[in-house]
Amino acid sequence: MVRWNGAWIMAILATVSCGDRASPGRSEAVPAVGDTVAMVDLKVGFVYVGPIGDAGWTFAHDQGRRALETRYRGLKTVYVENVKEGADAERVLTRLAQEGCALVFATSFGYMDAVLATAAKYPRVAFMHATGFKRDANVGTYFGRAYQTIYLAGLAGGALTTSGKIGFVAPVPIPEIIRHINAFTLGAREANPSCTVHVVWTNAWYDPAAEKDAALSLMDTGCDVIMTEGDSPAPLQAAEERGAFAIGYNSDARAFAPTRFITAAVWDWSVLYSRIVDEVLAGIWKAEDYWWGIETGITKLAPWGPAVPETVRQRVGTRQREITDGSFDVFHGPIIRQDGTEAYPAGARATDEELLSMSYFVQGVAGTIPK
Amino acid sequence: MSAAAVILRRACRDLAVIAGAVGTVLLACHVVLGAAGIHGAGACAALFRESLGTRYGFSESVVKATPLMLAGLAVAVAFRMRLWNIGGEGQLYAGALAAAWVALFLPRCGIPRVMLMLPAACAAGAAWALAPGILKASLGVSEILVTLMGNYLAMLLADHLCYGPWKGSTTFGFPMSDRFPADADLPTYAGTRVHGGLAIALIGAVLLWALLWRTRWGFQVRVAGSNARAAEYAGYRIRRDVVVVMLISGALAGLAGGVEMAGVLHRLQPRFSPGYGYTAILVAWLARLHPLAIPPVALFLGMLLTGGEQLQVSAGVPSSLVDILQGLILFLALAAEAFLRRRHGEARHPELSGSPAVEGSGD
Amino acid sequence: MTDAMGVCAALIAAGIQAGTALLLAALGELVLERAGVLNLGIEGIMLVGALAAFAASHAGVNPGLAVACAGGAGLCMGLLHGSVTVLLGANQVVAGLALLMLGTGISGFFGQRLIGQTAPGLDSLPVPLLADIPLAGRAFFRHDPLTYAGVLLVPSIAFILMRTTWGLALRAVGENPEAADAHGISVVKVRMLASAFAGILAGIGGAHLSLAYNQMWIERMVAGRGWIALAVVIFSCWRPYRALFGAYLFGLVGAATFRFQALGSPVSAPLLQTLPYLTTIAVLVLVAWRSRRHTMDAPAALTVPFRREERR
Repeated sequence: MVRWNGAWIMAILATVSCGDRASPGRSEAVPAVGDTVAMVDLKVGFVYVGPIGDAGWTFAHDQGRRALETRYRGLKTVYVENVKEGADAERVLTRLAQEGCALVFATSFGYMDAVLATAAKYPRVAFMHATGFKRDANVGTYFGRAYQTIYLAGLAGGALTTSGKIGFVAPVPIPEIIRHINAFTLGAREANPSCTVHVVWTNAWYDPAAEKDAALSLMDTGCDVIMTEGDSPAPLQAAEERGAFAIGYNSDARAFAPTRFITAAVWDWSVLYSRIVDEVLAGIWKAEDYWWGIETGITKLAPWGPAVPETVRQRVGTRQREITDGSFDVFHGPIIRQDGTEAYPAGARATDEELLSMSYFVQGVAGTIPK
Repeated sequence: MSAAAVILRRACRDLAVIAGAVGTVLLACHVVLGAAGIHGAGACAALFRESLGTRYGFSESVVKATPLMLAGLAVAVAFRMRLWNIGGEGQLYAGALAAAWVALFLPRCGIPRVMLMLPAACAAGAAWALAPGILKASLGVSEILVTLMGNYLAMLLADHLCYGPWKGSTTFGFPMSDRFPADADLPTYAGTRVHGGLAIALIGAVLLWALLWRTRWGFQVRVAGSNARAAEYAGYRIRRDVVVVMLISGALAGLAGGVEMAGVLHRLQPRFSPGYGYTAILVAWLARLHPLAIPPVALFLGMLLTGGEQLQVSAGVPSSLVDILQGLILFLALAAEAFLRRRHGEARHPELSGSPAVEGSGD
Repeated sequence: MTDAMGVCAALIAAGIQAGTALLLAALGELVLERAGVLNLGIEGIMLVGALAAFAASHAGVNPGLAVACAGGAGLCMGLLHGSVTVLLGANQVVAGLALLMLGTGISGFFGQRLIGQTAPGLDSLPVPLLADIPLAGRAFFRHDPLTYAGVLLVPSIAFILMRTTWGLALRAVGENPEAADAHGISVVKVRMLASAFAGILAGIGGAHLSLAYNQMWIERMVAGRGWIALAVVIFSCWRPYRALFGAYLFGLVGAATFRFQALGSPVSAPLLQTLPYLTTIAVLVLVAWRSRRHTMDAPAALTVPFRREERR
């Protein structure tokens, strides 16, 4: 427990001092993806919770994996799809280590216990656990600050709603999604202080039919902008059908809403994966928390859709620069919770630890988190 | 024909069945993988090399097979009476929930918690199967439908508890319970993940066999399964037996969830089961609903499933191709078996097939 | 008031949309079970159908013909199940589960290149005049062609099953294959045809998901609806009209749970989602209670393989 607290303090210090590995882009250059580097001898394993064909989360990670194969000659990757977050995970991780992987990425939070147990058995293998919070001598954690991008998308969404009601199709109530809903709402209400964000949980990571129906039900109750965090582009298609604006997630699926697309908060895992491979190759990898922000390119806004006016583009662009250079923080006080109590007074900022375990909605969200 | 000749003939038949199935399986692997540009024979060897050839691989097949054995026994006892309990998955979740509740919330009381978790899991699984049993016995409501719906209900209940009231205090808001205390763990075997659940499953198989084949009540159940009308004429209390069999079946499936909690996972997570309850239907049918055949068949399926993972790791086969392969293996094994059985002209087991409507609800 | 009515109309429309794939798949399975064969692999057939329809449309085939492609793919899957269970007499439960694995794998493997692609789908086809009726028009007469087809299939199947000699033969095969055989009906032929029919309809049900309800392909996008279709068949007590009721009821309650959330219900999402399952059980129990019928009229020879006795 002592070590974790230490790690947290490090992480917090890192954010405050705007340096360090937790957010490298602010002081150091991130290696450009696309340059091929010299021949390497490394095997990298990936464990996916869904099928690559989910068109969302797993698909985005697999794009990152493919980028590694193109960038490094000689690098081999191994992946296992559809690994349930139960008894199977530890076996798959062990097999990857046995197969000679020197670096293993576990891409879902439910693999936590399995990663820690396997890492203890294979101290020479570097394990990286996505979205997790527990580290060990050879277990690091990683994620991206997608909330920054989603806040910017909210800024655009708030500017474009005329009914003042924005719909948010959300998969399951975990801190990551709650943080994203809050960031989106902060953005939307900055652009339009009277608007509200209405949340419908689908309780599934991917079920295109349910996601579409969730979007339809939000539009039926008056929402004219739809944001989705589900894997599929189904809500975008539904919005296009009904003439509502649409914001996507994971990947740029504008083809599904050609006229009503605003933007999307997309992942580019290849930047982080390349960096970690570089560190492992150089022998300088350490089991730390990598929580990269928008300045690194791991999370970014997709190019604007045709219906977004120039003023909105400029406003979001300005804010994006402020986030990138560190002069603006999405979760800064005053922030009021949904129930009216104050989460942060003016001038205060949320710490990374608080962000990672966020379990309340901010003012302006209409929806419930299971208690 | 003498008894020895019958046994010999059966042995020959079984050997022929196995050889035929293995041959077709190898051919199928080679063709499917070859079509995808992967060396078929090598990949196929990988499928079984790991799960059979190494200590670790074999131990993991056993880990995978343990819940399949218990859930398979649950399916078998119900299907013996032609009660189509396809709610093993839900009863398994119910058992896991009860086990988790005992581990998380019951105050320390002298005896290790695991001793209470497993009975609680049995009771919860039985309770989850009780409603379909009573509805079947009293109103003739299809148990297929009620048990299937029960799967979704139990899974959603587990979701609700993990996302809400049972969410751990040390999990940073993630949907999982806290880790169970140490006295909620089943013992494991010498550095592997094989746990005490295996012994429980094997004892369960023997007890169930004894119950069905060595007691008067078991005889009644089997008669009711093969000929409901005859059982009625004989004056058996079929309605009561329907409820009792459902209770036993649910208890076994609940126990599968309990040992998975206490033996492997040690904390509750949503959707932790990779479909054990459904795979168990396969186990039970392939074992021809015979309790003693269920452990080896569960082990075989455990190997097939863990071998599928190994195929992804060592041969780079995508999981969709593994699904195709596993489907084909089952199909071909089934076809080969049916074909050979036909040639031998053996009469089918009446209790192995039949109508899902138990007519003996008493009217 | 009109606003509330509007929400209701939209809810009914959403329920019908969500129920259509279930209805199509359930109707096919109903006919097959009436002939005495159980196919647990409906989910796998729907997946293959969904992929076939989307792939065909993506390749430039007219969406109507793409639906036919889905039917064709479903036909192949249905015949595969039929040939193992009917011709060889293998166990229907195992064969169905094997078909599920096979369908999941085939659709996942061949669908990889279609992720994130778009293709022309089946757009809604308002019924002239009727679609302009306030509220009812929106609820009932602004759907895609497959939805209307599903509704029209119900009386057709009911008529064929109950009023024609074909239907009589099919039911006889499912109730008492030995007697049917004695009357000169080819049990194998009837069951193979029923397998083919069930495959076609399940394939088209899948096409509804990938071309009409959603217009995209995503791996495993059927997401358990094949199992619900099986539940609908049992719920219907093997009667087409009640299958229509069951499928739409399930779709409607499912659609309502999202609307409760959108309107601000404080109940947690997983608990709300238990509603369709609880409703299904409740209705079935109520029906059984009221009619005091102790048997649910499952075809007597369901899952029993038929083997013609050798005559010497």
